[in-house]
Amino acid sequence: MLFQRSANTVALAAALCAACTVAFADDSKYPEWRGQWRRPPGIGIQWDPTKALGPPQQAPLTPEYQKVFEASMADQRAGGQGGDPTYTCIPPGMPRAMTVVFPMDIIILPEATYIIIEYSNQVRRIYTDGRDWPKDAEPAFLGYSVGKWVDEDGDGKYDVLEVETRGMKGPRSFDASGLPLHVDNDTVVKERIYLDKSNRDVLIDEVTTLDKALTRPWTVTKKYVREKKNVIWFEYNCTENNRHVQIGKDNYYVSADGFLMPVRKGQGPPDLKYFKDAQQ
Amino acid sequence: MFSRRMVTIIALAATLGMALSLAGVAHAFDEAKYPDLSGQWHRIGPDRFDGGTNRDAPLTPEYRAIYEKVRKNEAGNMIADPMLSCQAPGMPRVMMAYAPMEIIVTADTAHILIENIHDSRRIHTDGRPWPGEVDPSFRGLSIGQWQDTDGDGRFDTLIAETRHFQGPRYFDGSGLPLHQDNNTVIRERIFLDKSNPDVLVNEITVTDSALTRPWTVTKTYRRDRTPVAMHRESVCADHSSHVAIGEEMYVVGPDGNLAPTRPGQPAPDLRYFPR
Repeated sequence: MLFQRSANTVALAAALCAACTVAFADDSKYPEWRGQWRRPPGIGIQWDPTKALGPPQQAPLTPEYQKVFEASMADQRAGGQGGDPTYTCIPPGMPRAMTVVFPMDIIILPEATYIIIEYSNQVRRIYTDGRDWPKDAEPAFLGYSVGKWVDEDGDGKYDVLEVETRGMKGPRSFDASGLPLHVDNDTVVKERIYLDKSNRDVLIDEVTTLDKALTRPWTVTKKYVREKKNVIWFEYNCTENNRHVQIGKDNYYVSADGFLMPVRKGQGPPDLKYFKDAQQ
Repeated sequence: MFSRRMVTIIALAATLGMALSLAGVAHAFDEAKYPDLSGQWHRIGPDRFDGGTNRDAPLTPEYRAIYEKVRKNEAGNMIADPMLSCQAPGMPRVMMAYAPMEIIVTADTAHILIENIHDSRRIHTDGRPWPGEVDPSFRGLSIGQWQDTDGDGRFDTLIAETRHFQGPRYFDGSGLPLHQDNNTVIRERIFLDKSNPDVLVNEITVTDSALTRPWTVTKTYRRDRTPVAMHRESVCADHSSHVAIGEEMYVVGPDGNLAPTRPGQPAPDLRYFPR
């Protein structure tokens, strides 16, 4: 029988290295988020968990991006992958990472909160040391997250982690339908993460996305349930047994017997001009 | 300018973990008992498992023959290195630390975070026994224990044992193989160099059916205490140009066309495309 994650991930020392002072954080000030967090039973991997995947999401897309979305769905109906870039094991990035396809755990340190998500091996680092936005951060699928702990109810304990994430790269989509984000990658994601006051084993993430593919900021609320007992972390490797391959701009499939095959009707083979035997 | 990482992480009463945390009891902790492993750790030495040429790898004759066959094809057939097609290297290869390594110690887990393919590990230090059934994985299941080897009242060494693997796995990018039965057992002793606390030592002993005896190598890592402005994201699938089709590895050239990775490599069989 496995132990549940029993550690209070606590804290020490801190930022202030300019003076090289070690400051000790008061662990009683931080909420207790240890454990394994999963999507609630019955909740799928669509972006807004209260609505079905696809058009029912009623995403506030601009007319231009509504067409992009419709083209994605049409391509998927024809056997393609549409606008979902994750089929080649590109990670979902932000904000889609917070769909938490596979479980996550959260480590709270005074200077940063780590969100470790098994799906696509994503480790979010939310810096809470008071830093400013970097001037030349390298774009990343997960972006760059700066957060702030807030004591909303004034009980002397932090209860809400407010996060802003910028500096994303693409391609990214909100979910597997290919619900698009803008290609300029100037997405800004704002989150409020806190425990449900009526059930401390439910974590809530209010995610607001600002993106030029949208006509207005779009807020959805994600919930996660905590598993404390017998926590097992399984390994998920997207690339293992992934049969999709990308050659140039085309997506192909590798059959179970190891041969390249088309993914849609009428799709031609790749150009094999660099192979001598193919020229004969 | 960002603050440098000064955090040491702390702990609760690990052995009491389950019962007490179920009861929701707040614990005292003694952070001073754990070594300061903060910062980013960079591998010292070349990216071969023994830090040299692997010449002394105690392979069985069968696996020596497999290794030699791979080495002869090293320049061409790169199917022997699964990392090229973004497959997870697994243990013990992840401890090559292909990207800067970060270690976060909590009372029940030592997290080893490495931004490579799927290299991050959890070493459980909560006193759990080996479970009866475990899904095999590339990184395996690691159970560890902190030890105070010099009796000064502080933990100084993390002992870890890792089992329950899947494959294929190799010791490193040279194609040095582990046995396909995946019954590897890896024991590690991880500690700071007493003469230089900015050097981390990992004594890794691999017991594997491809070896004639347990093979111990010592890997070392240099600490970088420089404040980390940004932990760099590494996404293999975002930059890999290799494509595995059946038993062959190909490369996609800058023009988007498939190309061979060795002279005379046959083109992929297109039997499933309409003529």
